Amino acid sequence: MTLAEFFSCSLLAFGAPIVMFAMTVATDPVRIIIMIAAAFGWLLSFLLSSLVWYAVVPLRSYLIFGMIFAIIFQELFRYGMYLLLRKTEAGLKEISENHEIGSNKLEMAYVSGLGFGTMSGAFALVNVLADSIGPGTLGLSGGTEYFFVTSSAMTLCMILLNTFWSIIFFSGFDEKNYLKILWVIISHFFVSFLSLLNSRELYAASILPSYIVLMITSYIAFRCAGGSSKTFIQSFSARS
Amino acid sequence: MSLKNIYLLVTIILLIFKGYSCERLHELIYSSIEGSAACFRRLNGTHQTGCSTSDKGAVGVVHFVQDHDDVLWLATNASAGPYMAVVSTSKFGLVEFLIDHPTNIAGVLTYENASDIPSFFTHDTRCPNEFSSADGNQCSSSKEGGVVWNEKGTGLLKREIPFPIFFIPESRYEEIEKISHCFGRFNYDKNNQRGRSLCSIQLNSFMFAAINTEVCMRRSATSTIVTTTKVCDPLGDQNVYYSLFPRTKESKKQSITLVTARIDSASLFDGVSPGAASSVVGLVTLISAAAALAQLIPVSKSNLYDTNILWTLFNGEAFDYIGSQRVAYDIKRGVWPPNAPLAPTDVKLHVEIGQIGGSLSDYVNENIWPLNAFVPTLAPSTINDGENDIQIFLKQLSNAYNMTIPGIFNGSLPPSSIHSFRRILSNVTETGEMLEMLLVDHKETFTNVFYNSALDNSDKIAYAYKNISMINNVTFISTAELIADGLMKETDTQVKISRLATALAHALYQRVVGEAYTGNITVSAHLVDEMLYCFLKNETCKLLSAAEFGGNEGPREGAGPAPLYVGVTSWNTVAPVFAGHLLALLTGTQLSLNKSQCETKPESGYTRLWLKGWNHSGVCIETTMNFSQALSPAFIISDYDFKSGTYSTWTESVWQTMWARVFVSASGGSACVAAATGAVSTLIAALLTFWLRRHSSLIFVDPPSATIVVDDAASGILRSVNC
Repeated sequence: MTLAEFFSCSLLAFGAPIVMFAMTVATDPVRIIIMIAAAFGWLLSFLLSSLVWYAVVPLRSYLIFGMIFAIIFQELFRYGMYLLLRKTEAGLKEISENHEIGSNKLEMAYVSGLGFGTMSGAFALVNVLADSIGPGTLGLSGGTEYFFVTSSAMTLCMILLNTFWSIIFFSGFDEKNYLKILWVIISHFFVSFLSLLNSRELYAASILPSYIVLMITSYIAFRCAGGSSKTFIQSFSARS
Repeated sequence: MSLKNIYLLVTIILLIFKGYSCERLHELIYSSIEGSAACFRRLNGTHQTGCSTSDKGAVGVVHFVQDHDDVLWLATNASAGPYMAVVSTSKFGLVEFLIDHPTNIAGVLTYENASDIPSFFTHDTRCPNEFSSADGNQCSSSKEGGVVWNEKGTGLLKREIPFPIFFIPESRYEEIEKISHCFGRFNYDKNNQRGRSLCSIQLNSFMFAAINTEVCMRRSATSTIVTTTKVCDPLGDQNVYYSLFPRTKESKKQSITLVTARIDSASLFDGVSPGAASSVVGLVTLISAAAALAQLIPVSKSNLYDTNILWTLFNGEAFDYIGSQRVAYDIKRGVWPPNAPLAPTDVKLHVEIGQIGGSLSDYVNENIWPLNAFVPTLAPSTINDGENDIQIFLKQLSNAYNMTIPGIFNGSLPPSSIHSFRRILSNVTETGEMLEMLLVDHKETFTNVFYNSALDNSDKIAYAYKNISMINNVTFISTAELIADGLMKETDTQVKISRLATALAHALYQRVVGEAYTGNITVSAHLVDEMLYCFLKNETCKLLSAAEFGGNEGPREGAGPAPLYVGVTSWNTVAPVFAGHLLALLTGTQLSLNKSQCETKPESGYTRLWLKGWNHSGVCIETTMNFSQALSPAFIISDYDFKSGTYSTWTESVWQTMWARVFVSASGGSACVAAATGAVSTLIAALLTFWLRRHSSLIFVDPPSATIVVDDAASGILRSVNC
């Protein structure tokens, strides 16, 4: 039964990102490169935050301390990706066979965010998935088997959030609109702190607000990229 | 924000969310069951016996089995997949039903409960070692009638069991309590178990060997280029022998009296084979009698007498008499004992100390211990004259024991090492040249109802350690003094064993010297008390600390007694080494040599050992004690036919690890929810992405414009490079 658990939770957490990858990123080599580079950037940020956690020995058992530093480093590396992409934009356009690249400035932001998110999701969930295969599930020392579903749901939320945060972040820096950047950072802290409630098994209290934040963030990202609810509805009736 | 404010913020946050410790998810899911002993696989020439699981182990839902209704429910009505039956040793008979209906059973977990001791618990066959018994044996598992020695035996030790069985000893009862709590929380509602999270157990005891000894030895011998993968090992260990007078090839022909006992025990479970009533009582009797006789007749008088006593401890007797078959085979070939071999005609009398421990708990409040002697050799016509050598010896023994030991002349011989001698040395045993006598405490069926089992411990022989300190750390207090001082009573097990050992020593003295013993040297019950403690309670004890090799480091961490299971040939167990060194210490001569001098070649007929000694400073002992290999002749004869049944062919499977753990199994609800939401979210994402891509020009009407400045320099460089 728990092999089914493994596959279902993997589908829940990584199904949507993989579909997005397959449809938008996999067709273009430059986008793949950027996505991998962004994933690597996230890895570096995580490495640094783990070094900090390891160095500060007395605070090791306080998850929240490590979490704060992880968020700070992630946002710093997101900014680093922003600088990198803006500097190398010209070169990328040259080597790309896709002449449409860069037509929407935030295209790179989306790809980079997807890479960031996928790597963060993988790190968050792979250990949990490995334990979900075994014959046992949570219950003996507290918790229920729904832990795996909620972990996967939170992971999906974080992956998508990371994608949209990158879009908003890049857009904010391009337009020098510091409200957008503040939204990214504050909502990142908010969602991460919410996940701390999971250890008290208040799963509803952590997932629902996170998905509400996801909805809001996705709408903001949509607006940043130039879309609006009017044009979206019009696309249904237009015949092109 | 100033630094001070940041610190304040961090402190506040820490105070609110303090102590969210990270725990490994694995530790939250699984709880390991420690201290368990598993049933493992042994093979003989024609069958495989015991238990095994698949490579990944066996998983089953916990169900506590209390009575027959429970097993019936498990076999017929239970619906939530294979079950793991948890049953107390007092209800172990229910496992028989599970073995007959194994389809819904993944395994059995059995536990020992001090407040619920079973009235019997033995898993050897009803006729132990039936197929290695001599002719005239009336105990048969297939035919009706006749005498049945091990009446309560289930035979599980020598049968194939379709699922794993693990044993939890009394010291680990908290594991059962843990499982019981888990069961109470999750599995209580028997009728609604499908589709719920249930408390489950996983047992792993994967065995590499299969089919029978012939096949697994062939597989073990096939070597690949680099390594040989062994899948089974023959059972075997060491026999211990000690002669009263030294024997060399040149010394004159003496008539030998062989006095033997078994040293090993067996059980279904790995590492748990206490063997108190099955072996230890006989072992201790033999060692103390040998020690007393060495005092009665010092070695210096060896050339005065024609008779020599050869005390031997056989190992592996539980498995078709491995040790005694090998000794009999070696005597036939003329190679045992290795330094001064016997001829079969040299041995005039063979006295075996058999099953004597079972009745000690029956006579716990009385100071008698009735024994019987089975004598298989005599033809009926010679019985009545009473002039026969063996009847004389029996009379001497009865006199010394202060109680008549009746001789049983026409009964079927109980399981004992004598069977090996009667089969292999039939030339001398059937003609009466080698007389045989078996000392037991029963007549028709064993008094020991825990024969060769995991529960055959010190309680079953009414033994309690007295912990009396030695005089000057060297001398043992005599039995008479102990009783006079009130430290022991006449009804104590230690006193009874010391009386029997004294009787044996005095009777053998009379046999050697020709006159009855009139002195007052007896076996001390204090010595017996210490010996029983060493073999039954804790191997870190006074006697064994003095008897171990002088070079060993300080006392081991006593983790209980050394198990008496014979084990595999390639790994010698400690029990025979203990027994041998103890014999050396108690009977040998102390030489005033230092360690390096002690290692020089001794006089012929002796070995020299550097032991710790009573004051732990090292002492050189010269002794006639030695060890010989107890490996069945089947494994040393080339091209032996393993199906012939002539010799013991027992082997033990190789295994890597055996463990057990308890956890809660999933109900599947979580997987369903995850699958449903996963499919929905993937579908929505796919549709949205597709739609946004297809109509991106319509939707993203006002994109942030590209501000990419095409830098000609850069493009020039790139165009000139060939990628």
